[in-house]
Amino acid sequence: MSDSSNLLKTTVNDYLENLPESVHNKLYQSSITCLAIFRLLPSLAKFYVMSLLFNEHSVSYIDLTRWIRPDNMTHLVSSSTKSSSSSAVTNFPGAIGKNKMYQNECLKRLKQLNLIKDVRKQWTNPNTGQLTNVVVLQLNPMFRKNFRNALTGSQMSNDLNNDIEMTDVEEVSEEFLDRYSLMKWENILHFMVGSEVPELPSIGVLSLLRHSGLMDIGEENEFIATPKRFKGDNMDLKSMKITQDGFQFLLQDINAQIWQLLLQYLRMSEKLMMNPVDVLNFIFMLGSLELGKQYPVTLLSDTQVIMLEDLVDYGLIYYPEKNRYFYPTRMATTLTSEKTTFKTASMSMNQVLEGGPEVKDHGSIVLETNFKLYCYTTSPLQIAILNLFVHLRTRFANMVTGMITRESVREALRNGITADQIIKYLETHAHSQMKKLAEEKLLKKLEFDSNATETQQIGSQVKLEVIPPTVVDQIKLWQLEMDRLQTFAGFLFKDFANAQEFEQLANYADEVGVMLWRDDDKRKFFVTEEGIGQLNDYANRLKRHRA
Amino acid sequence: MSRRPAVNYLEDEFSSDSYSEEEFPKRRKKVNKKKAQSAMDEIKKQNKDTKFEEDELIEIPLDRPSDFIPDSVSKVFGSSDFSYLKLKPDHASRPIWISPNDGRIILESFSPLSEQAQDFLVTIAEPISRPSFIHEYRITAYSLYAAVSVGLETDDIISVLNRLSKVPVAPSIVNFIRSATISYGKVKLVLKNNRYHVESSQADILQMLLKDEVIGQLRVKSDTLTTTSDGLVRTNKPKSDGLVIAGTAAPASDNSITNTFNTAIGSDPFEDKVEEDDEDEDDDIDKVHSFEIASESVEIVKKRCQEIDYPVLEEYDFRNDQRNPDLDIDLKPSTQIRPYQEKSLSKMFGNGRARSGIIVLPCGAGKTLVGITAACTIKKSVIVLCTSSVSVMQWRQQFLQWCTIQPENVAVFTSENKEMFTGDAGLVVSTYSMVANTRNRSHDSQKVMDFLTSREWGFIILDEVHVVPAAMFRRVVTTIAAHAKLGLTATLVREDDKIGDLNFLIGPKLYEANWMDLAQKGHIANVQCAEVWCPMTSEFYQEYLRETSRKRMLLYIMNPTKFQACQFLIHYHEQRGDKIIVFSDNVYALQEYALKLGKPFIYGSTPQQERMNILQNFQYNDQVNTIFLSKVGDTSIDLPEATCLIQISSHYGSRRQEAQRLGRILRAKRRNDEGFNAFFYSLVSKDTQEMYYSTKRQAFLVDQGYAFKVITHLHGMESLPNLAYSSARERRELLQDVLLKNEDAAGIEAGEDSENMIGGGVSKRVRSGGQSSSATRTTGSLAGLAGGEDMAYVEYSRNKNKELKEHHPLIQKMYYKKKR
Amino acid sequence: MPRAIKGALVKCDPSIRALILKIDAESHDIVIEELDDTHLVVDQNRIPFVKAELARILAQNSYNPLDEDEA
Repeated sequence: MSDSSNLLKTTVNDYLENLPESVHNKLYQSSITCLAIFRLLPSLAKFYVMSLLFNEHSVSYIDLTRWIRPDNMTHLVSSSTKSSSSSAVTNFPGAIGKNKMYQNECLKRLKQLNLIKDVRKQWTNPNTGQLTNVVVLQLNPMFRKNFRNALTGSQMSNDLNNDIEMTDVEEVSEEFLDRYSLMKWENILHFMVGSEVPELPSIGVLSLLRHSGLMDIGEENEFIATPKRFKGDNMDLKSMKITQDGFQFLLQDINAQIWQLLLQYLRMSEKLMMNPVDVLNFIFMLGSLELGKQYPVTLLSDTQVIMLEDLVDYGLIYYPEKNRYFYPTRMATTLTSEKTTFKTASMSMNQVLEGGPEVKDHGSIVLETNFKLYCYTTSPLQIAILNLFVHLRTRFANMVTGMITRESVREALRNGITADQIIKYLETHAHSQMKKLAEEKLLKKLEFDSNATETQQIGSQVKLEVIPPTVVDQIKLWQLEMDRLQTFAGFLFKDFANAQEFEQLANYADEVGVMLWRDDDKRKFFVTEEGIGQLNDYANRLKRHRA
Repeated sequence: MSRRPAVNYLEDEFSSDSYSEEEFPKRRKKVNKKKAQSAMDEIKKQNKDTKFEEDELIEIPLDRPSDFIPDSVSKVFGSSDFSYLKLKPDHASRPIWISPNDGRIILESFSPLSEQAQDFLVTIAEPISRPSFIHEYRITAYSLYAAVSVGLETDDIISVLNRLSKVPVAPSIVNFIRSATISYGKVKLVLKNNRYHVESSQADILQMLLKDEVIGQLRVKSDTLTTTSDGLVRTNKPKSDGLVIAGTAAPASDNSITNTFNTAIGSDPFEDKVEEDDEDEDDDIDKVHSFEIASESVEIVKKRCQEIDYPVLEEYDFRNDQRNPDLDIDLKPSTQIRPYQEKSLSKMFGNGRARSGIIVLPCGAGKTLVGITAACTIKKSVIVLCTSSVSVMQWRQQFLQWCTIQPENVAVFTSENKEMFTGDAGLVVSTYSMVANTRNRSHDSQKVMDFLTSREWGFIILDEVHVVPAAMFRRVVTTIAAHAKLGLTATLVREDDKIGDLNFLIGPKLYEANWMDLAQKGHIANVQCAEVWCPMTSEFYQEYLRETSRKRMLLYIMNPTKFQACQFLIHYHEQRGDKIIVFSDNVYALQEYALKLGKPFIYGSTPQQERMNILQNFQYNDQVNTIFLSKVGDTSIDLPEATCLIQISSHYGSRRQEAQRLGRILRAKRRNDEGFNAFFYSLVSKDTQEMYYSTKRQAFLVDQGYAFKVITHLHGMESLPNLAYSSARERRELLQDVLLKNEDAAGIEAGEDSENMIGGGVSKRVRSGGQSSSATRTTGSLAGLAGGEDMAYVEYSRNKNKELKEHHPLIQKMYYKKKR
Repeated sequence: MPRAIKGALVKCDPSIRALILKIDAESHDIVIEELDDTHLVVDQNRIPFVKAELARILAQNSYNPLDEDEA
């Protein structure tokens, strides 16, 4: 599983873990939510939940740890859980120490989600008859009940899947829904990278992008430090520019992207006094719906109807007839699934547009030592992303050419994109030929190094260098070049009458942590803008003291 | 044609100086209005406002189809969005794209077809960049001229391009190829049985020429050959007829390019029709037409053909030349030639005759052997011209080493040697200057010159063609009558602006090798390139910012940090067992560095004997591991022992010089040792113009696939024992010295061998670098061609020469002592 | 009695410092105080100008391959 989907799980879980217990208990009233939360758990945690779920007796902590082979527990886990997450097995670190850490981490998670509780119990040893205190684990009873329901399918409350007779309903194909949702979603991404978009994203989307820090109202000029504006009117929102976080966002797969925005939506909805349980339940419910089916609006709460309309903007929902019925798109139905059906936006775009076999998005960029870049792509979105840091030149039906230049990289850096992000992007999208060559070179190097008796090469590091190291260095150097000058607003203190006067003030500035520069010989120092007040007070106190 | 309305408003405006400030705007307004009005009147007068019918309007064909809908990112590419060019269904197996607006060809070098495609593309297009994965070429008028001259036909070029291309070749490209090849290479001048024939495969072109008022009269009616009704002689097209290039096994063949294609790609569905058509015309294609002209009218015909845009290609049918005696010359059986050398020669001898042209091979890739092999194939008297007397001796030695020519048939013509061979045929090696210089010739050299000009040469080899000014070339080419001309160079880079001249003075580029390919196959050394950033010390930088551009140069070259970096790198690489050459264009710096570090150095004024002495010590004495060279070392000094180059000062942004210098280590003896790397360092002072020049200089090599690693800090430099300029006082003293130097010290070395070859080029570069060039430099340069003596050196050179003589033995002594 | 002067502390390498001093020499009233090899106090309002000038001057020392490529 990709890095970004792990990242996604962490962020969703972080959000969930920080909810109060009362909210958790409300959430666990929905079997669908129980199922969704279960799916988001790490494999070992799932295993714990499953082992507690149908075990009528409480299980001691010691027993839990015993179920895990300290050296290699992957086998046990993958065979004993029914979860479909065979891919997650690879997440198990092999080292013993790490296993233990992983185990503790899982238990901590479960506790924070209020899924399990430690209970102290007295236990009689059947052989000795001795009484000992043991810690046993108990599954949250509410969760236990509703999760069992979810698994056995006996009582799906809040379930929209019950067949409801719908008449004169528009026939909608899955293909149509895919196209529709990607169009909506890519429109947002295009807006983020500054492409011309046929239709601006809604104000709701724009302000969400701004609040989540993915985009920011651009400053007129990099050199004119305008004071940060706090409220942006709509015009400002429309002229927003992508931020460093925004660029990072683009590098994730689509599922992670949606989650990131949904979490931001959750935080905003709290401010708008929307019921978080309602909101979360709706999100989790979407994940349990079926693609291509229509669902009546009547079953939703008022909060959820408002949400429904918002989610249309992101392409999660197709909502052709107000107040009647809606269709979840693939983006919605795969929200809580383990396998990310959408790898990246552009990849699925290719799939949808060409309808052909999976087009390999990974492995599309060739970057040469002469800084020329060639990218096999048909995706306007990918081209737009490249345009953020590449001087693009020519476009053919399946390839674009360009060059990484000082100016193109500086432009990206000015937009807050970091050198590391650019390099990471290039690495993850490097063409298979580049990877092949890098591997060959590495092998050769290793072989040579093992043969060599007295080699003393300059910086002979042994690592896989997919992107030409000289280009990587240069991009980093361009970033360093931007940071050659740092400025701090503040005050210069000078003309001290004597060393004692200087030292008193200077030492005080040091103590309160406002000192930026000092020179005892010249009797000068420089303090931050914030420090001047404190220093004045102190100077006055000294004066009074002396007087 | 539209004529600009002849409105004279300039006068109006400039005669208005009697108006006061306040009046001026008003007046101006009036003037403007008047201007506009009269312009309108003029336009109305000249152009009628006719209503045209729709079909009367001229339709300008847009490259873009009308149904092309630009998408959200089209704007980024401007007119270079060719996404409308639809991919062929099997595009994945075809390796190129062609950009319709600039003729740029992009090649996937990892394609299975890549090798054949490269062979083809290097023939029809200029290679722009050839790094690891994707190569770029550009189709230009010159490259097409070259393609046609090696025997490719217009339709073949288009058809093969179409086969290679992922998208159908755009009409703009097809039209360009057609228009560029319509007249190029169609007319050949062939010397056959000692008679000159104007030859073409297209009878109509010859008919056209015969109707020309100048050429028509010069035709000689042939009495021996039967003429056809149209007055032309019809013979079979020349074929290689089993001509075997010396040292190769297979006969040379023209068709290799297209043949490889047919086998590799198979017939193309799009092209089937064209091929069938071809067969019907086969009869015609194998015939050539010609008419004869007298030998004395050759020059006139050539000139006239050039004027009417049908430049004449010269081919030498040496096998049928009975007038010029054969030279007994062949490659020794032990001499091996490499595949790319053979390939380049097959372009030259493809049709059994010798085509004139230029072969481009990196330094160290064996250009000399290519020239020698060509001479062994033609087997007629040969003259070789090179850039310095050092390389004259090297050429002579190489001829004797690789082939069977008898020493008595080899003559050397330099300022020191004025020999002639005695037999009927022979070899002469000389310098451009010896041949081109017309002033103050001694009696002896005049005698040799008379010998050279009085006879007909089968073959002339022009070494390092890129450094020879066009004027000198013209003189050489016109003084010496040679049937076939071969230019050799490592870098035919664009900054020359001489490509055009060379094309017509020598001939088209016949072949250009791929550097990375040669390095991978072990023909040239692998090189690690690095650019070392040397921060300017504060004092030097402050002066740098204060000074004029000329002095600035001196300051960034003499930057103490750079000196320390140089010292450190020499130390490091000597420890590793490397042999190091340090290059400095600037003679002042060259001497300062070398003297302070106790290393021998060579520059323009170093006498021949001393040069040889130093070079020999560098080669054979394991105590002499580092030498300093000025520009004299840029070309033609052959030092296979060198494994490390350090560049401390260079010639502005000259990409050619960078490539030449790199060439000094490409033939490193140890290149085939496993894991062997040669090292090439460029030391640049940070935050100075040198940074700009440095990147620019690297551009050519970077496009060949070399990667320059930036080193911002040399670890361990500060702790090097005896590190120079480590105290502020030393640095201050150095700064004082530098500031006291005459501005001339900042100049580039004047008046030595290789410098003078660039003569014209240098003064041009210098001017563009913001300085005025001195006439002395140019004359000094020309005089210097004589091989290092009786030159009009500028004053300081002479003094330095003396200084050098006094210091040198001392340095040597000190140096050895220290080593022991 | 010590004085407190409002300004911006600039932290940079010696070359940048020299360049700022050069900019100051040409357009005045930028540098308030030279502290040491790597520190200056500069009029805060002139910082954007200084940065723009520095970018302009430093760009002159870097070669843009596109200048020629697309000419």
